[in-house]
Amino acid sequence: MSPEPRPRTVELAVSFVLRTGVVLSAAIICLGLALLAAGGSLARGTRIDAAIAFPRDLAAVLSGVIALDPASVMLLGLLVLAATPILRVAVSILAFAIERDWRYVAVTGLVLAILIVSMALGNSM
Amino acid sequence: MPIFLNQFLLLLIVAVAAGALGSLLGLGGGIIIVPVMTLFLHIDFRTAAGASIIAVIATSSGSASAYVKDGLANIRVGMFLEILTTLGAICGALLVGRFRGSILYVVFALALMYSLVPSGRRILEELRGRPRKLERRDSAGSGRLALGLSLGGSYFDPALGRQVEYRLRRVPLGAAIMYGAGLASGLLGIGSGVFKVLAMDSVMGMPIKSSTATSNFMIGVMAAASAGIYFGRGDINPFVAAPVALGVLAGSILGASILPRITGVKIRIFFFAVIAVIGAQMLLRGLRGGA
Repeated sequence: MSPEPRPRTVELAVSFVLRTGVVLSAAIICLGLALLAAGGSLARGTRIDAAIAFPRDLAAVLSGVIALDPASVMLLGLLVLAATPILRVAVSILAFAIERDWRYVAVTGLVLAILIVSMALGNSM
Repeated sequence: MPIFLNQFLLLLIVAVAAGALGSLLGLGGGIIIVPVMTLFLHIDFRTAAGASIIAVIATSSGSASAYVKDGLANIRVGMFLEILTTLGAICGALLVGRFRGSILYVVFALALMYSLVPSGRRILEELRGRPRKLERRDSAGSGRLALGLSLGGSYFDPALGRQVEYRLRRVPLGAAIMYGAGLASGLLGIGSGVFKVLAMDSVMGMPIKSSTATSNFMIGVMAAASAGIYFGRGDINPFVAAPVALGVLAGSILGASILPRITGVKIRIFFFAVIAVIGAQMLLRGLRGGA
């Protein structure tokens, strides 16, 4: 018995989300690196993990981006990268709904719910 | 050259290799970049772990967009099994501290070592040119779960020059191993790509190339769910994580262009070697007290 032919909505949607996220994050990270190089703020001899201040919450990252702080711009790119797989789960719920594959709308919805619980638990731990 | 630039370029190059290997084998690539960061560059462990999480996400997203389009990564299988891995990871995270880490490392190391026996036998069979009849096994052993959830698929394999079709079998056992894989990653903070590939390939009878591609598709979600915690703790140092992300993305796109054209047995041999290394690493860590 061969697998039945399937519509490709989900595959195309997921592929599009992943590609867009990757390209966007890489572009933002490169912009941050360009700002870093242009600023010349790195003294000769600085180690890569030296204690150069960088933000650790979203508000600080965003205000840093507006000020064109290289570390904040790079972090924004990294956060876009990290958000991509979560967005891919959310978008595939929509795509499965368009295909009227309700079993997988349920499966994917459950995955998203578990992810949200795990992120909530993680922030409280 | 300034030290910063030296270290930046070294990380970038290592990350390309990690991304390529990770995207071929369905792993995050942490086994390559973490030792380079901690042993050669003396970057502290937390910063290295933060960059490793970024590497997993980059490997997954960079290669999966190609694998999903090729049909190598099976979205339905991945989504269904993600229920088990994410539940396992939450339970693992909640249980941290209840078990002795050293015992867990030894248990998981022995599980990996044990898997080497059938994997090795299969490599020898395939090298002797007697590949098992995949088609026969697939349709015969599919249970209700595999049929009800359409857990099967097909893709064109340029290395074989033909369309490959498959259906999963022994789904309940495979799902249980997936839960265990999630549990291990939650408890020990290790990547679980190897366990995922083993469950899909060895237990559920998915072709090895689809297994590594689907594992790749899956690992990014788990890593992304924990990335926020690392970010909030200040463990994602952009100066370290940025070259890692760019290198791994490039490497994973390279790997994703290689996988369709390479033969399954070559992937198996690579995978066998990597499991031997990871198993030995985990065993040593367990015997040293789980530190």
